[in-house]
Amino acid sequence: MTDCVMEAKHVYKTYCVKGEKRKDVKVIEAVKDVSLQIRKGDIKLIFGPSGSGKSTFLRCMAMLDIPDKGDIYLGDQSLTAKGVDLNKARARIGFVFQHIYLFRHLTALGNVELALRQVLKLPKEEARKRAIAALEEVKLTDCIKKYPSQMSGGQAQRVGIARAIARKPDIILLDEPTSALDPELTGEVIDTLRDLAHEGTTMLIVSHEMPFAKEVAEEMIFYDEGHVVETGPPSLFFNAPNTDRAKQFMTRIINRTTRE
Amino acid sequence: MDVWQQLFNLLEGVPLTLSISIISFLVGIALGLPLAFTRIYEKEISFAVDLYEKIFRGIPEIVLMLLFFFGLGTFFPLPFGSAFFVACFVLGLRSGANQSQIYRGAIRGVGDEQMIAGQSIGLSKWRSIWHIMVPQVFTFSTPGLGSEYALLIKDSAYVYVLSGLLEITTRANQIRQSTGDFITPYIFGALIYIAITFPIAYSLDRWGNRRKKKIGL
Repeated sequence: MTDCVMEAKHVYKTYCVKGEKRKDVKVIEAVKDVSLQIRKGDIKLIFGPSGSGKSTFLRCMAMLDIPDKGDIYLGDQSLTAKGVDLNKARARIGFVFQHIYLFRHLTALGNVELALRQVLKLPKEEARKRAIAALEEVKLTDCIKKYPSQMSGGQAQRVGIARAIARKPDIILLDEPTSALDPELTGEVIDTLRDLAHEGTTMLIVSHEMPFAKEVAEEMIFYDEGHVVETGPPSLFFNAPNTDRAKQFMTRIINRTTRE
Repeated sequence: MDVWQQLFNLLEGVPLTLSISIISFLVGIALGLPLAFTRIYEKEISFAVDLYEKIFRGIPEIVLMLLFFFGLGTFFPLPFGSAFFVACFVLGLRSGANQSQIYRGAIRGVGDEQMIAGQSIGLSKWRSIWHIMVPQVFTFSTPGLGSEYALLIKDSAYVYVLSGLLEITTRANQIRQSTGDFITPYIFGALIYIAITFPIAYSLDRWGNRRKKKIGL
């Protein structure tokens, strides 16, 4: 028995990318022996160079990509075991995408309501109430009837967050929630995440928003070339990371931030 | 029979032409949608869908109609003895093959990420398809669906080879035989077909464009 909300044990995932010629198949080892534990109320942040496999790992956690090897646990339940109802499991995991992926044919309210109606099978009235409450939580009550194409990127991503939190999942996985947005729109999304953090929401976030990380993360995980290079509290990374690779990366990121 | 009588005679065939084409179109939707999704998301059996499409796009409708009506109809008068059934059956199967291709393009256009988002909220594959893909796929398919419907209206004319279905073309043939006038009935017939297909294709396109604008496709 563990008190873990979610746990990854020695997870591996490779995928193939086709090259120009038919024969050229590049095998990319996106996740190599990654283990991770998240307890209730934890906020952990994964960061590292792009293309290192962070997103693939996060998708493996939600079983949106099926790991080649290793186990994923949601509470005590193994998601990698045979015959598991993954749809039921995914209903307990909130996922926020880098490119948002709102349902384009539905309004903000429709996006949030869909899982409540069709997955949790709540009656209409209650689903609506809870969807509106979730949209209030991300401060979007004025956009309820808007379609994704009529919203700004920041608004759309907040709807994405509302869609993930409305069914009160055990954990929320966020895959670079701000990196596809205009710089001036990241603030509103970060504010929303900060509110969630203060409410004690369990979150695993892939992000490079360093000031935000410093403020809310209990643990930061430096991820490179498919595996976890170093983990520690933000203070470790901001002062003196142990590995050269992390040192290098932090210097570059902090320089960039100060230049801005 | 004067020209006005001819015209009214032909117009009486319009309901039959419409009902054959509408029923075939609906049969085509009912077949085409699941086939298109099967072809894309159930890789193991997608070859069967491919085969179906090739068969029904490759054989002339008229041959199938004759085969089902006079061939099967002899042995199974129910339902193949009914010209109306055979007409809708053959055109529906053909339209299913066509529509499957139209929808497949649309599914690719809507994008896999919508499916992934659907599964991320806990919907199963086929429920994501139903709640998220299908509504968008329809919008995406409108220009193609408009011409497919126009095609069905035109192809309903083939049923003149089956006896007893008095739609527009069959009536035009009868008028020619009884009056010896082989120009007026066909010109009227052509005009009626245009008058039916044009507004339908036009309004479907308009509906599609408006929806597309709304959902930003």
